[in-house]
Amino acid sequence: MGSRRVTTSRRTFLATSGALVAEGMAAQWGKGSGMNEPSDSPSQRDLGRHRVIDCHAHVGSSRQPGTTEELSAPWDTVADAEIILQHAREAGIDKTIIFPIDNINYREANEDIARMCQRYPERFAGFCRHDAETEEHGTIRPMMFHEIRDLGLRGLKLHTQPTAEILDVARDLGIPVLYDSNQHVELFEEFLPLYPTVNFIAPHLGSDQSQDWREHLLAIELAKRYGNFHVDTAAVVLTEYLEKAVRELPAEQILFGSDEPEIDCRLEIFKLRVLNLPKEKAELIFGGNIERLLGGWV
Amino acid sequence: MNPLIIDSHAVIGVGKTWDAPPRWVDYKLEALLERSAEAGIDRSCVMALHQPFSESANRQVAEFCAKAANKLIGFAVHNPQLEAGRLRPKLNEEVKSMGLKGARSDGHPTRELLDVVAELRIPLVYYPGFDEYPGPARAYYMIAAAYPSVNFILPHLGVYRSWQWWGHYEAIDLVKRFPNVFVGTSSVVSRKYLDMAARELPAEKVLFGSFAPVLDPRVEIHSVKLLRLPEASKALILGGNMGRLLGLA
Repeated sequence: MGSRRVTTSRRTFLATSGALVAEGMAAQWGKGSGMNEPSDSPSQRDLGRHRVIDCHAHVGSSRQPGTTEELSAPWDTVADAEIILQHAREAGIDKTIIFPIDNINYREANEDIARMCQRYPERFAGFCRHDAETEEHGTIRPMMFHEIRDLGLRGLKLHTQPTAEILDVARDLGIPVLYDSNQHVELFEEFLPLYPTVNFIAPHLGSDQSQDWREHLLAIELAKRYGNFHVDTAAVVLTEYLEKAVRELPAEQILFGSDEPEIDCRLEIFKLRVLNLPKEKAELIFGGNIERLLGGWV
Repeated sequence: MNPLIIDSHAVIGVGKTWDAPPRWVDYKLEALLERSAEAGIDRSCVMALHQPFSESANRQVAEFCAKAANKLIGFAVHNPQLEAGRLRPKLNEEVKSMGLKGARSDGHPTRELLDVVAELRIPLVYYPGFDEYPGPARAYYMIAAAYPSVNFILPHLGVYRSWQWWGHYEAIDLVKRFPNVFVGTSSVVSRKYLDMAARELPAEKVLFGSFAPVLDPRVEIHSVKLLRLPEASKALILGGNMGRLLGLA
């Protein structure tokens, strides 16, 4: 009812700020360089059960000292891995893809993600995150090669508009890109034709918390036109658009995601379970697709 | 016998949604009843969508209620600013003759509206949009204190879709402060605030609402069932409280 689009948008929050508040969390991630070997769940595969994988969650604390957004919103403060683990266990989720919350630059935050994946190799796989509009500009290629090849991260999360610099690296590494376009799904049109080999994921079916239903429609249309454009299901409030996506799109282009820990994966997965999807579709959406996008390396 | 499950907040009929931009929709009786039945809901409190013609909309709601008398409980919708000076006869007729059991204020409640609501002893749903107020606290402090005999229902735990997340904190604080302020549970996509409400508030002050069919009542009731509460508390939230406010118990 009557909710307006706030001027201090989540995207604004996400673009800046933050100091470390969760040193306790950092401590529990363990020490070391964070080398993360590819892990798998052979036991579940042997049983023939497809794994359920949540493709969208945040872990870590922000390092944006001195900015106005620092400590001003949940996504500028901390995202607790233990909450995700508990909820995922209750929801029947085998593995969760995690990436950092807001930071000014992401070198340390990505190392934190790698350490967390090393600590819980059966439960977490990690994406690095970068921002091509900040001081990271010009240095992203070596950072991402290190994060993917040495630290074992598997994909890229973006919350600012990608540049050729960043997408060239993603293409060369062969990793998927999960890009939150902040209610501007049309931005994907700028680069989808230029990077046909890169698999893109638009979270929230194009509109976080269904802030603009037109973005859901646009995301569905983009998925019809581009085979390398995928959507995730996180935090879609107007679930009639989830039903529309499932009805109209190939299941191969829809991925289950939650946006934990701000959004509860137990409810997000239920939104899909009530749709009573055919088994083949459900297996793809609940995990098969992200496994495929990661070359089975999850 | 299991206690009734009452959805405190559903909409029905033709009208505009609260989205930006709004969508014109036609929420059919049958579709609402079917989805609500799948969710295990026994009774739904239904009210009109956002639209300027309250009299015809409220009449339509009353007609729906007559068609499904054992399933629907009708609420009248009024804009106290646009309908200033005409609220008393309208609400009296809608409650006393047409059988509506509650009201929703589309706009900040005025003394005119609150006086009639108090006389009729009906609950009042009021969601202060973030266009008018920075959050529910400022919108509620004066009216809740000035009309202690009116039971106010603040839907969405204070903020639709959790976007302005601080509104959830304000809603929880309002309920603690005022015995006559209740919160509805629908659309709280950041469920941790619903968990917070369940931990910090008496179960008697929380009302299950689905905001169906804008939202899926099967999903919304599942969100309440995930709360870590004794079954007796959940039963209050799922219907006992609303039954009490409506005088059904």
